[in-house]
Amino acid sequence: MADMLSRLRPWVFPVLVLSLLEWYVRSVADSSDALATPLQAARAWWDLLWLSSDEGLWRVTGFTLGTAALGLGMGAGCGLLLGLLLGLSPRAARMSFLTVEVLRPIPSVALIPLAMLVFGFGVRMELSVVAFATFWPMLILTQAAARQVEPRLLEVSAALGLTAWQRTWWIVLPAMVPRLFVALRLGVAVALVVAVTVEIAANPNGMGYAMMIAQQSMEPARMLAWLFWIGVVGMVINVVTLRAQQWAHVRMGGSVTDTHRVSA
Amino acid sequence: MALLSFEGLGIHLGGREILSPTSFEVARGEFVCIIGPSGCGKTTLLRAAAGLVQPSAGAIFRQGNKVLRPSREVAFVFQDYTRALLPWRTVQGNVMLALEAAQVPVAQRAARVQQVLKTVNLQAHQHKFPAQLSGGMQQRVQIARCLAQSPDVLMMDEPFGALDAMTREALQDELARLVREQGLTVLFVTHDLEEAIYLGDRVIALRTNPTPQRPSVAAMIDVPIAHPRDHLGVKEHPEFLRLRRELYHYLGHG
Repeated sequence: MADMLSRLRPWVFPVLVLSLLEWYVRSVADSSDALATPLQAARAWWDLLWLSSDEGLWRVTGFTLGTAALGLGMGAGCGLLLGLLLGLSPRAARMSFLTVEVLRPIPSVALIPLAMLVFGFGVRMELSVVAFATFWPMLILTQAAARQVEPRLLEVSAALGLTAWQRTWWIVLPAMVPRLFVALRLGVAVALVVAVTVEIAANPNGMGYAMMIAQQSMEPARMLAWLFWIGVVGMVINVVTLRAQQWAHVRMGGSVTDTHRVSA
Repeated sequence: MALLSFEGLGIHLGGREILSPTSFEVARGEFVCIIGPSGCGKTTLLRAAAGLVQPSAGAIFRQGNKVLRPSREVAFVFQDYTRALLPWRTVQGNVMLALEAAQVPVAQRAARVQQVLKTVNLQAHQHKFPAQLSGGMQQRVQIARCLAQSPDVLMMDEPFGALDAMTREALQDELARLVREQGLTVLFVTHDLEEAIYLGDRVIALRTNPTPQRPSVAAMIDVPIAHPRDHLGVKEHPEFLRLRRELYHYLGHG
């Protein structure tokens, strides 16, 4: 009984807030066209769930996640390769330092106008902005990970007479893996945020666009349903990537007890 | 011919003279301990002998060849075993690394790993990861990896310094047995006087802040106690007491 109560505890606050909201919209803001009650939003979400057209929940979600994943693949992939190069070669890092520091601070969404000019409306434009946004954290974190390999391990590889190639494949890359998973987790979060932003601002597809359309056609219940759903999707993705990161940490020899340090 | 010879070895690091010109030789099969207070350059000397640091003056020769870079014939046991092991490889995998590096034929690797693990009593733990082992066991893994190299010389940098007293004594005895059985040549750095006398055939004491008038090597003393040695016997041996007093004086306490 006490066990069950403690499991219910995290739900107390959300239920309280939702109840208050339900009461507020029903009583005080009854005549509002801009607000919907949580129950109405839930109803709208349920309808979307069973809608089998192109505006259905799964297809729209699939579009956003697919585009985010593809953009992440391109951006993070390039960031990983270039980050490795810059991390392993101090000369390359010195040569590229200025370029990186000039381009990196550009907010990725500021690229939307340019991307629209080049790619028009649609998937390719969204992909390019997501790829740009995820490229930088991956580049910087990969570079840092390559430099933070335990120096003692590099001495061990020297003492064992490893070639540069063996040192990279057997020592440096495996030692980097836990930090690369941290970088990937950050990249996934950035990709989702940027994908939804681009859809709200420019690309007439995906969850961001669906939410915008609901808002513009005065359907606050549907808008709130999408908002809630985007939150749920983000939460699930965060849990999955956190698990992956912890798995990598343990698999690569970190002790199980300090996984909480990487979960931060 | 001496296996290792140090000829006027001097090392400067960051504008400071760590080692003033130092000369001595190590014969094959000899166990030489280097002791001295912190900062006397004993670790630097060992690293130079392994080719991990370049000397500023003089040279080191191994079997008549100048040491310019690390070699697989020299195995190096680091003090910080936690950092020196690959945490993503099992005990077996860590030992295997030495064989992979030396390009030992794949067919021979497994048998060689088993043989080495047996000599350090780690067969039962071979599928564990380093993080699952105690400090003493982790250090044994590192020693096993070094033995797998079949080295000419084993360089050990305070290998037991971070272990508790019981484990340290057990590993000292294990090392002494290995050295006797396999006829290893060992250069062993420690700051523990008793450990140096217990293990060494010869003890070299270094001093801090060497000058041309006061060279790095403060004393070089043979240990005339027969092998095999045991902790109780050696520590009551009159020679042990005499050497300890003498070295204590050289290390600047007297």
